[in-house]
Amino acid sequence: MKIDRRSFLSYTTAVVLGGAAGSMLTPAPWKLMDDISIWTQNWPWTPVPQDGAITYKHSVCTLCPGGCGIDVRLAGGRPIKIEGDKDHPVNKGSLCPRGFSALQYLYGPARVTTPLKREGKRGEGKWQKITWDEALTAVSGKLAELRSNGRPDTVACISGSDQGTIPNLIGRFMTAYGSPNFLCTATAKDAMEQAIYLTQGRQGSPVFDIENADFILSFGAGILEGWGGTGRMLNLYGAGKSAKTLVQIEPRLSDTAARANQWISITPGTETALALGLAHVMVKESLYDRQFIENFAFGFNDWTDDNGTAHKGFATAINDYPPAKVARITGIKEAEIPKLARKFAKAAAPIAVSGRGQGLLPGSIDESLAVLLLNAIAGNINKKGGVSVLSDFDYAKWPEIKIDETASKGMQQPRIDGAGSDDFPNTRYLLNRLPETLVAASGDAPIQALLVTGANPLYTMPDTAAAKKAFDRIPFIASFSPFMDETASYADYILPDHTPLERLQEVPAAVGISRQVISLAKPVVKPVYETHHVGDTFIQIARNLGGFVKSAFPWKDYETFLKATLKDHWRTLNKKGWVEISHDLPEPLNYVFNTASGKFEFYPTARVSGQKTIPPLPAFTPVPIEGDPQRFDLVLMPFDSIRLAGGDVANAPFMTKTVDANVLLHQTSVVEINPATARKLGLKDGDSVKLTTPRGEATVQLYFYDGIMPGLIAMPRGLGHTAYSDYLANKGTNVNQLIGAIADPDSGLNTAWGIRATITRI
Amino acid sequence: MSSTDKNQTVSSEAAPEAKDSPASKSSGWAVFMFFMIGFVGSLLAGWILFPDLLYSKKEQPIDFNHAVHLSVVYDGCNSCHYFREDGTFAGMPDLNSCVDCHMDVMTGDPEEVKFVEEYVQPGIEVPWLNHSKQPDCVFFSHAAHVIGADMSCESCHGNIGTSEHTRTYEENRLTGYSRDIWGHSISRLGSPEPGEPRPMKMNDCAKCHLEETGHKGACFQCHK
Amino acid sequence: MKEQNSHTNAKRYGMVIDLDKCTGCGACMVACYSENNVPFKTDETNKLDSINWIRVYKLTNNKPYPDTEICYLPMPCMQCDGIGKHGHSPCVSVCPAVATDYDYDTGIVSQIYTRCFGCRYCMAACPYHARKFNWWDPKWPADTEKYLSPNVSPRMRGVVEKCSFCFHRYQLAREKAYLEKRQKLEEQEYQTACTQACPVGAITFGDLNNKDHAVYKLKNDPRAFRLLERLQTNPKVYYLTSKNWVRRAGDNYLAHEEPGNITKVKEHH
Repeated sequence: MKIDRRSFLSYTTAVVLGGAAGSMLTPAPWKLMDDISIWTQNWPWTPVPQDGAITYKHSVCTLCPGGCGIDVRLAGGRPIKIEGDKDHPVNKGSLCPRGFSALQYLYGPARVTTPLKREGKRGEGKWQKITWDEALTAVSGKLAELRSNGRPDTVACISGSDQGTIPNLIGRFMTAYGSPNFLCTATAKDAMEQAIYLTQGRQGSPVFDIENADFILSFGAGILEGWGGTGRMLNLYGAGKSAKTLVQIEPRLSDTAARANQWISITPGTETALALGLAHVMVKESLYDRQFIENFAFGFNDWTDDNGTAHKGFATAINDYPPAKVARITGIKEAEIPKLARKFAKAAAPIAVSGRGQGLLPGSIDESLAVLLLNAIAGNINKKGGVSVLSDFDYAKWPEIKIDETASKGMQQPRIDGAGSDDFPNTRYLLNRLPETLVAASGDAPIQALLVTGANPLYTMPDTAAAKKAFDRIPFIASFSPFMDETASYADYILPDHTPLERLQEVPAAVGISRQVISLAKPVVKPVYETHHVGDTFIQIARNLGGFVKSAFPWKDYETFLKATLKDHWRTLNKKGWVEISHDLPEPLNYVFNTASGKFEFYPTARVSGQKTIPPLPAFTPVPIEGDPQRFDLVLMPFDSIRLAGGDVANAPFMTKTVDANVLLHQTSVVEINPATARKLGLKDGDSVKLTTPRGEATVQLYFYDGIMPGLIAMPRGLGHTAYSDYLANKGTNVNQLIGAIADPDSGLNTAWGIRATITRI
Repeated sequence: MSSTDKNQTVSSEAAPEAKDSPASKSSGWAVFMFFMIGFVGSLLAGWILFPDLLYSKKEQPIDFNHAVHLSVVYDGCNSCHYFREDGTFAGMPDLNSCVDCHMDVMTGDPEEVKFVEEYVQPGIEVPWLNHSKQPDCVFFSHAAHVIGADMSCESCHGNIGTSEHTRTYEENRLTGYSRDIWGHSISRLGSPEPGEPRPMKMNDCAKCHLEETGHKGACFQCHK
Repeated sequence: MKEQNSHTNAKRYGMVIDLDKCTGCGACMVACYSENNVPFKTDETNKLDSINWIRVYKLTNNKPYPDTEICYLPMPCMQCDGIGKHGHSPCVSVCPAVATDYDYDTGIVSQIYTRCFGCRYCMAACPYHARKFNWWDPKWPADTEKYLSPNVSPRMRGVVEKCSFCFHRYQLAREKAYLEKRQKLEEQEYQTACTQACPVGAITFGDLNNKDHAVYKLKNDPRAFRLLERLQTNPKVYYLTSKNWVRRAGDNYLAHEEPGNITKVKEHH
C-alpha cells in the first residue's frame, strides 16, 4: 500500500473520526464532562470548615467591665460562635455586638503574635521579633536600673481597670517596686464614687438598682448604649419594658432617647441645673421623703457649726433654682420642669442616673452630687430600686507586702498626676493630667519608664496629639497589649498578653449591679500565639528583680495566685462559672454613713478639706467649654454608639461592618448636624467639610439629622484609629484628637463634654 | 448527542470524497480500516484504559480489619460510628475512641503496631481516606436515614463491616473525590450488586428520594 | 407540579419583630455574621456591596427637632410565600439555574451557592434587597478561617447569598428529633441566630401555622404589618409597631390612604 500525502491525510482523518465516534460509545467524554464540571467548582482557596462534635464552654466576656456570661460553641474543640449565657445572673443571656464578635479578637490581623522590640523610630511600625526571655530581660533590666538609681517612682503604670486580681497584682507589683504611679483610665464611676464618698463617707462602687426601679430619670446616660453593663441593661429593657418608665435627658436623640418614654432635650452641660431645679420643685411641693430627711440627713436644712457659724442647707440653696430660671439655663420648657419633678417624685421606685453615654467621661462632681442628692430627697439611698454602695470585694486580700528602703522612699514621692494631693484629695487617678505634667517638667522626664496594660491611652486620652508628644519624653515604654493598638505601636517593647478567650481571670460584678457577683473567665482555647498571661509576666519581672520585689510574689504563677485569692470560691467558680457572694439588700440606713455627722450629708462637710474654697453644696456653674465663641460658632459633642467601641478595646471588623453609612463613609467620619443649622451656614446634606476645633481639624461629611439640637455637631467615639489593622485603621476621625481635657476644679477629673468648633466647606 | 450526530455526518461526507479520488481507488477499504482502528482503539481506551488513568490508587494509612473489630464490639457499627447526643453522626472515629482499647499494642499485628507507634503515641489523627466524602455544600443526615427511614448502614456503604482488609482508595484525579461517589461501574449502567457500596451523586439521592418519598426534595434538604 | 405537594400539614416558619422594642444595637447582625460565616472586608461602608443577611435600617419620621423620632427596622430575608402562598417567591420564579427554591415543608427559600452562577436576576426581583452578591472571594485574614462554622458552607466569588432563617439549625434540631424518635420539633428547638441573639427579645420566631407557637398569635396583633404588603409577596416576616408613621414607611401609601384600611386583594388558591 502506497501512502502518498493525500492518503496519509485521509487515513489520519479516518483514525481520528473513528476514534471520535468510538469514544462517544465509551463513558470517557460523559464522565469527563461531569468531572470537569465538578473540578470547576473545586476552589481550593475557599475554606472548608472542619466538622466535629459540638460542645459548649461557659465563660465570661472581658471585652468591657460589664461582666456578661457567655457560652462559647466549639466544633471539634474549635471555637466557632459566641452566645449569651442564659443562666448568668448579670446578663441573663443578653449580649452586645462586641460580645458576639469576640472570636475576631481571638483571631485577626490586629494581634501581636510574639514579643516585639522596636526597630527604627517610635511608631514607625518596624519591629524585631524577640524571645520571651529577651523581652523579660529588657523590661526587668530597665526597671532594675531605675531602682538601683534610687528612682523607682519614675516608673508609671497605666492600667485599663483597677478591679479584680490582675490590676491588683500589678498594683502590688508597683508598691513592692516602689512607685506610687499606678494610673487608671477614668470613667464616670470616678465622679460618682466621689459624690458617694462626700455624702456618705464610704468607699466603693456606686450601685444603681435599675432591676427594681420603675421610673428611670437618665441625665444623658446611654442606658441602651453601653451604660451600666450592656448585656445587663439591654436584658432589663427587654424584660421590663412595659413595667418601667424611662425619661432621657440629652441634647441628641440617641438610641436610648429614641426608645425612652420621653425624650427631653437639654442644653448640654446644664444637667446640674436641671437636677437642682427638680429638687427645688420636690422640696417646694413637699414631694420629698420626710422620713429619710428627718432621720438620716444632715445639712438638708440650714445649720450652725460648732463655731457658731451659720450655714445654708440644701433646701435653702436650691431656692436659687426655680423652674423659670432653670428653664432659661437648660432650654427646657418651664412647664415641663414641675411636671417632670412630680412624675419622678410620685413614682413607686424612681431612680436618677448620670454619666454621659457609656460613662467614659468622668464629668463634674457638682453634677454627680446634684443627681445623687435628687435620689436622696426621693428617699432613694440604700434601698431596693435605689442607689447604694458596693464595698470592695472581700476576697482581694493578700499577705502584707514587705518593702525595702528604696521602695519606701519611692512610695513617699508625690504621684505624677496629682491625684490624692491637697489639690485633689478624693481622687484616685488623674490620667488626663499626665501629659501636661510630663511636658511641664524641666530636666529629665519625671517618668523614665512606662508600662501600659489593658489600656490604650494614645487613643482614648483627650487631645491625642498632645498626649503623644508628652509620651515622647518617656525614654522607655513597654506595652502588654495583645493587640497592635495605638499605644503598643508607639512602645519600645511589646510583651503580648493573651486575649480574653485565652486568658484566665476572675471578673468582679458588672458596673452598677446591686449584688456581689464574681465570674470566672476560663480560657476556652489554648493560647493561639506566643503570648503570656500578663499576670505571669509581672510575676516573672518581679522574680527577675529579686529581693523584696520577688518575695512579694510567693506564687508560682497567676493561676496559683488566683486560686489562693479566691480560696473557697474557686471550687464554685470553676464548676459553675460564677458565684453570688451576697443577695442582701443594702444595709439598713442607720449603719451606713461614715461621715463626720454620721448621717447622709446634703451639705458634704468633707468637701471643705483641701486648699481650695469650693462651696460644699452642689451648685450649677456652667462647665467651661474650650474655644472662642467668636471664632467657633458651633459645638462639637462626642457620642457613644453601641456599634462602636470608644474605649481601651477597639472595634472588631464585624462591629465596623454594622456601622451605617451615616456614621462612616469609606474613610471619612460622618457628623450629625441639625438641618436648620447647616442651611443657615449654606451647607447641604452630604457636604464634605473641614471641621476645626481649638485642638485640631478633620475632614468630615455632614449628615442632616433632625434629632440633634441646633448649633451642635455630634461625632461618634471609636473611629479614627491609626493602628490595629486595615480593618480599623484610618477610618474616620478620632474625636478625642479634636477635644482637650478640662479639669474639674474640685476633683481634677476630665469634664470636657464638648468643644467649640466650626465648619467650612471644602 | 448532537455532537455525535455531527461527527458522524462529517465522517460520511468525508468518505465519499475519498472514494471519488482517482489516485486512491482501493483506499476506501483502507480508510474504513483506519476508521475502525480509531473506533475500536478508542472503545478499548475509553472502557479499559480511561478508568485506570482517571483514578489514582491510594492505600489507607492502616490496613484496618473491620471484621475483627465487629466481632469484639457490642453494638455493631454503632460502637464506633455512633450518633452523638445531639443527633449528629460522628462519622469516622477519632483517635480518642480508638485509644480506649489501643493505648498499647494488644495483638502484635504489624498494622496495629504501626497504628500505635505512628499515631497513638504521638497523638496524631489517622488521615483515613473517606470513600463517602461529599463536597462542603452537602448536608447529609445519617439520623434521617438510619433512624428516620430505618435503613441499614450496608444499604449505602455495602458490606464493609465484614471486610478484613481496607480497599484501595481510588481518587478521581480531576475532582479529588472517591470513585465510590460515581459508583464503581464507570458506565453507571445497572445497579450495584448487593453488598457493594451505592453511588452517592446528587442524582442517586434524588432517584431514591423520588422512589421512597414521592418527590426529590427541596434544595435545603441536602444542601447547606 | 410542585404545588401538588401537600402542604396542609406543612410548617410555615416566620418571624415577628417588635419595632417598639428594637434598640438598633446590631447584635442580630453580628450574631448572624458569626453563625453563617458571613465575610467581612476592609471597607464595608458601601452598603450595596456589603454582605448582610439581616440588616438594621434606621428610619426617621422626618419631623424637625425636637419632634423627631427614629425607629430601627431589622430586615432579614422575608421568605416570601408569593401570591396565594404557593411558593412563587419573586426570586425563586426568576432563577434560571434552580439555585434557589421554596421548601414546601418549612416555607423557607433556599440559596445554593455551588449552583448559582451569579446572574443576579433574583437580586433584581427581590423587592426587599435581601440578596447580596459576592463581588470578590471572601478573605479570612490572620487565622480567622479557624472560627468558621462547619454548618454553613463558605461562599465564593460570583454567587448570591441571603438569609436562610438559619436552616442548618432546623436540620440540627431535626437530627436530634430523629434520634429521640420524635416527629415534632418544639418551638424552642429551632430558633434563628438573630432571634436568639436579640438582647431585648424583640424577635420572635416559630411556625406561623402552629397555634402553640408565639408567632401564631403575634402575627394577628393589631400592631402587626408586613413590608410592601400590596405587592402580594406574602412575606413571612411580620413587624409590630404602635407608631403610624413607621407603618406608613412599610409601604407606599397615597396621602389619603391609611395603613390597615386598604382593601386587600383576595388570595386565590
